[in-house]
Amino acid sequence: MTVPDTLEGAVILSVVDFFLSIVIIYGISLVLHLFPYLNRLGNLTDEKLKSGH
Amino acid sequence: MIEQFFGLLLALFEQTGLAAISAGNIIMMIVGGVLVYLAIAKRYEPFLLLGIGFSCIVANVPGSDLTAPGGLFYYAFRGVELVIIPPLIFLGVGAMTDFGPMLARPGLMILGAAAHAGIFIAIILAKLAGFSISEAGAIGIIGGADGPMAIFVAMKLAPHLLPQIAVAAYSYMALMPMIQPPVMKLFTSKAERSIVMTQTRKVSRLEKIVFPFVIAIIVNLLLPPVAPLVTMLMLGNMLREVLLVDRLANTVANDLMNVITIILTVAIGSTMAADRFLTYTTLLIVGLGLIAFLGGTASGVIAAKFLNLFIKDKINPLIGSAGIASVPIAARVTHVVALKENPYNFLIMHAMGPNLAGVFGTAISGGIMLALLGVK
Repeated sequence: MTVPDTLEGAVILSVVDFFLSIVIIYGISLVLHLFPYLNRLGNLTDEKLKSGH
Repeated sequence: MIEQFFGLLLALFEQTGLAAISAGNIIMMIVGGVLVYLAIAKRYEPFLLLGIGFSCIVANVPGSDLTAPGGLFYYAFRGVELVIIPPLIFLGVGAMTDFGPMLARPGLMILGAAAHAGIFIAIILAKLAGFSISEAGAIGIIGGADGPMAIFVAMKLAPHLLPQIAVAAYSYMALMPMIQPPVMKLFTSKAERSIVMTQTRKVSRLEKIVFPFVIAIIVNLLLPPVAPLVTMLMLGNMLREVLLVDRLANTVANDLMNVITIILTVAIGSTMAADRFLTYTTLLIVGLGLIAFLGGTASGVIAAKFLNLFIKDKINPLIGSAGIASVPIAARVTHVVALKENPYNFLIMHAMGPNLAGVFGTAISGGIMLALLGVK
């Protein structure tokens, strides 16, 4: 089912899209909040990478 | 003899563009000239406006075959029309972008979604103005302040409006230093604009390498309609962050990006022919695009002020306006407005976080819109 081509449809599209955008981007930000824990796996320095470990 | 001579001259004249030039052509050539003037004299995004302005002028010279099938400008536009150019732009942007500021403070990512209320205001107004829902969606995405995404969504929803939408999106992005500051000042006090933000943490190389893979997976899983763009953005970023393929990363970020920029700007400008462009529809789209930009800027600032109600470490609400996307123009505008209040307040890196999140905000909004309208 798609959004009807009416003013009501435009309002529904806008509200749902705005709300879901905030939910998804908040979800991504939660994932990114976990990123500092990656550093517990080890330290990867620029020098190590460039020299092929 | 004399009759024949003048007859020949007349025939020659009729073969030139002079015989076919219209008032509309002259108006559009002046528009192109204004864009070039803004680029050269005012330094407003010369990388975008020079190509657009130049090709706009050429496209309005009657007799020019460059925009007709067989002409180079025509094939440049085909690249846009076939949605080849926008993902390549994203590839280059990814290779040029350090997502560190966004990773350092992911809590501010929400501003990248909040600063897109302008999209939805424009959608509703466009529908009220008589556009179909697909056309309204394509017009609304101008407020995402992301040129490639605007082109991508317009091609999916309303390809016949692509020239107007692309021109409005890129012109407003270039003119953001004029559009945003009045709105930013309207919704903030001097004290708020002077807030100095604390230093963010340093993001490790490992985090930066993992980031493009995680985002590519999330976007392909949740938002397949816009996955081509974001995936290319992440591919470019991965090439940059692994530090092992500098040659590829540099080529994508510099040489390829420069070539694609020339093709893109020429393609957009070449669509600004008077007969297609000087219409009431164009005026409406340009007006709605402006409302979308103003609405997005306002909603970003308001959202940042709202966030300040709940957080201890206050943020400068000006950075909310950078959530509109248009990397890095909006972040630069934030920085400049803050500097005027306090010459020692350097907000650029703080503004880059929401600014980069704005790219994802636009992509997510576009993806959801395409899904809701049943477009793949």
